[in-house]
Amino acid sequence: MKILVIVSQTQDTEAKIQVSASGDSVDTGDMKWIMNPYDEFAVEEAIQTKEKNGGEVVIVSIGPARVIDTIRQALAMGADSAVHINGDSFAETDPFAIGKLIASEIKKLGEFDVIFTGMKIIDEESGQVGVQVAEELGIPHVSLVSKVVEINADAKKAVCQKEIDGGHVVVEVPLPCLITCPDAMNEPRYASLPGIMKAKKKPLTEVGIDDVNFEGLGFGKEAVSKEGARVKTTNIEVPQIERKLKIIKGSDEPMVKGEEVAKAAEELVKLLREDAKVI
Amino acid sequence: MSNDVWVVADLKIDGTIRKVTFEALTEAKKKLVGKLGGQLCAVLLGSGVSGLEAELGKYGAEKVYVVDSELLKDFNTEGYVNALSELIKQNEPAVVIAGNTVFGQDYFPRVAARVGAGVAMDAITIDLSGDNKLQIERFSHSSKAIQTQVFHDGATMMATVRPNSFKAEEAPATPEVISGSVELNPADIHVKVLELQTKESDRPELTEAERVVSGGRGLASEENFKYIYELADTLGAAAGATRAAVDAGYCPYDMQVGQTGKAVSPNLYIGIAISGSVQHFAGMGSSKVIVAINKDPEAPIFQKCDYGIVGDLFDVLPPFTEKVKQLISEG
Repeated sequence: MKILVIVSQTQDTEAKIQVSASGDSVDTGDMKWIMNPYDEFAVEEAIQTKEKNGGEVVIVSIGPARVIDTIRQALAMGADSAVHINGDSFAETDPFAIGKLIASEIKKLGEFDVIFTGMKIIDEESGQVGVQVAEELGIPHVSLVSKVVEINADAKKAVCQKEIDGGHVVVEVPLPCLITCPDAMNEPRYASLPGIMKAKKKPLTEVGIDDVNFEGLGFGKEAVSKEGARVKTTNIEVPQIERKLKIIKGSDEPMVKGEEVAKAAEELVKLLREDAKVI
Repeated sequence: MSNDVWVVADLKIDGTIRKVTFEALTEAKKKLVGKLGGQLCAVLLGSGVSGLEAELGKYGAEKVYVVDSELLKDFNTEGYVNALSELIKQNEPAVVIAGNTVFGQDYFPRVAARVGAGVAMDAITIDLSGDNKLQIERFSHSSKAIQTQVFHDGATMMATVRPNSFKAEEAPATPEVISGSVELNPADIHVKVLELQTKESDRPELTEAERVVSGGRGLASEENFKYIYELADTLGAAAGATRAAVDAGYCPYDMQVGQTGKAVSPNLYIGIAISGSVQHFAGMGSSKVIVAINKDPEAPIFQKCDYGIVGDLFDVLPPFTEKVKQLISEG
């Protein structure tokens, strides 16, 4: 079974966000780069699928040279090989072109059974690329899969449970297909030390922008840049929401105790009615 | 290319139209339709949906495109993608908007890829730039930042909008109904829905609720979540939870609020035994009023809420819920 995983690197949004001098992006100078957390679920699901069915897991990732750290992490978790679509301008390209580029490289990998990827990326908070890769490849997708019930390479089908608002559906999808992974789908493993050692020797193919077949993509090299984006980010701000910070505390210690409790509850209700006017 | 603005109706499992659809119609009429000079249109996709057109008219839809087909049953993604893509190709609207619901995030980007349009996800404002291109604002970077995004190509411009971002206002129109222009082919549907399971709940949906009551790991058990549900029901609120509470098995994943769960922006958000992590705030930080009840005075949530009590939830919540009940019954 051939299992692909589209993995992205993202800024660690735990950090303080600062707007860059140009005003339209986030200053990434001191930022830590990590594997997109949703993609960790995708890598884990791929490895589990391989453990059950046999086969190989291939990582596909796009971005500048720093992305290799994230690729190595996926290989250390247990993936077998990787393709890195390497280019500095890719980091600023819009999802529309990114999806097409990834799909065109996947086409070069020959036949495969399933693609896993995270439901969205945490810095841009956009969730388009995975679904758009599926469209480019002409294969069905199932998004927000909370549970893969079965993947059967012989019968060429998968059964998945996916979340919808107010419930869930169980779907049967023919292979090859693309599955997007939400939180809580599984528990991603940590890379073991032997895994990290082995990862260094696993095959990693580099693809440069000059290797891309733009004729087949329907747009030129210039589309793969910030200038070429169809939807441009023109401004970014870090809003400061002023909160009222009216906190009721105990008199002797921070926690309200004993008789203070009922008074605190009453006071809070009063604040919500008269001050905030929300109940 | 027409100058029309489309809003795709977002349906609930029970077949009614979600509020976000009316919010989007209202805002599109206000901000886009006049300046573009086209019509405000709605798109109604589903199985057995005929009859809902009038409701879309109530919020200003002058035209409703309907595709009513068995093949659209049970939120079949491929059916939706095929139907909407075909409608867009036939009519070339200037703008297409849908709700940023779980289902919207599923089918909408694929439609954009198929028709070759750019798409902006989860907009909290919609407007037009100086040269009449769609311009939106949206949260990014765990909701710590707000991006402005502007479209710049000539094709159809597509966006999903976050529920509860706009106010729905009635603006009655009698819509012209256009149906039968798209014929779906069963051979084009590859994904089979084997089973649809709905959750029976009288509570409002998290993403469209005006009020949300959420619990954290401090609730300590599934059983104790009854305190959350009781307060939520008293307030007519949706019930939510932190990732820690969901991971601990106290409640199902669909209650998770935060970066890796649902994004909510209600008028009132009450967090019970929630520390206030960056990841949780990514999903609720834009709430208008935030209330915290937590026994740890050092919990980060006390630095970024409006009102709060430092106290044990098991002491504070019963009298608080009782007082709220009393107040509400008095009107």
